[in-house]
Amino acid sequence: MAVINVSAGNEAVLVLGDAAANANVASGATTGLVVPNMQDITINNSTGIFRFKTLDNTAESAVTTPATNQISLNAVVDANAFFGTGAGSIDTVIDTGLFGCSKNKTKVFFEVAFDGRDSGSKYFKGSGFISGLAPTVNMDSPVWITPVTIEVDGDFTEAVLS
Amino acid sequence: MRSTLLSQITTNLAGSNVSVSQELPWNSGGQVLYSKNKKHFYLDEEQESREEFIKTLDKNDVEQKTITLNGYLTVDAKNQPGDMSNVVANIIAANSSITTTIDNSVDVTTEIEDDDITYTFEFNFITII
Repeated sequence: MAVINVSAGNEAVLVLGDAAANANVASGATTGLVVPNMQDITINNSTGIFRFKTLDNTAESAVTTPATNQISLNAVVDANAFFGTGAGSIDTVIDTGLFGCSKNKTKVFFEVAFDGRDSGSKYFKGSGFISGLAPTVNMDSPVWITPVTIEVDGDFTEAVLS
Repeated sequence: MRSTLLSQITTNLAGSNVSVSQELPWNSGGQVLYSKNKKHFYLDEEQESREEFIKTLDKNDVEQKTITLNGYLTVDAKNQPGDMSNVVANIIAANSSITTTIDNSVDVTTEIEDDDITYTFEFNFITII
């Protein structure tokens, strides 16, 4: 048994890029956007279920349908990550930020590591679209915070950092 | 922050029965200055405290910084200056001179010892860093 914790140096990391090669969560990779200031992150792999009843059975039957895959998180808004740094980098996600990718409906590739960016860390990768941005602030919580959802297009692929 | 607040209090108390000292409320001969020099307002040095406001997974935590300044004013309890309520209100009002904060507050307490009454003003200025 090996508990995965998020102690210093082993935190959950999400990297986004406009190409699979750029969304590289490996330590030292700088081509993608490392989403900063995440408060929490949830990976959803929700298998669809179709239920039906038959006259000869006392309980419902069920069959699976394709899964809905989603990554959702909450983050403190970082100006560069949210609005982008403008043109100049090699990646659209860095240039236009989370908001630009959402507004322009840019397909993003992601890698999300469970246990830091060092070798041995398990991670998921895939692609999808940024959605669900809703930055909010108020005087009781005077720092902009936004939820972010990545609606995954297709399946997650599991891998381990080498 | 202390100089800004002190400057605003000096402006607000101009023409009143209370003077504003630029000195810290240090002890002289075993007696604090505001007790020795009645009808003189003294503002202490800034005290700073920080606490975690928002935790993040990458340890870029957001902190809340609170700067506290205590002000002191002692007057004769039996014969307080006639404009004492205005003096207190004007000292409190000076807290709005500090900007770029998310919350400014003032607590006023009094303590009577012998025939003196000492007003203690606790100014709190909160910023997010």
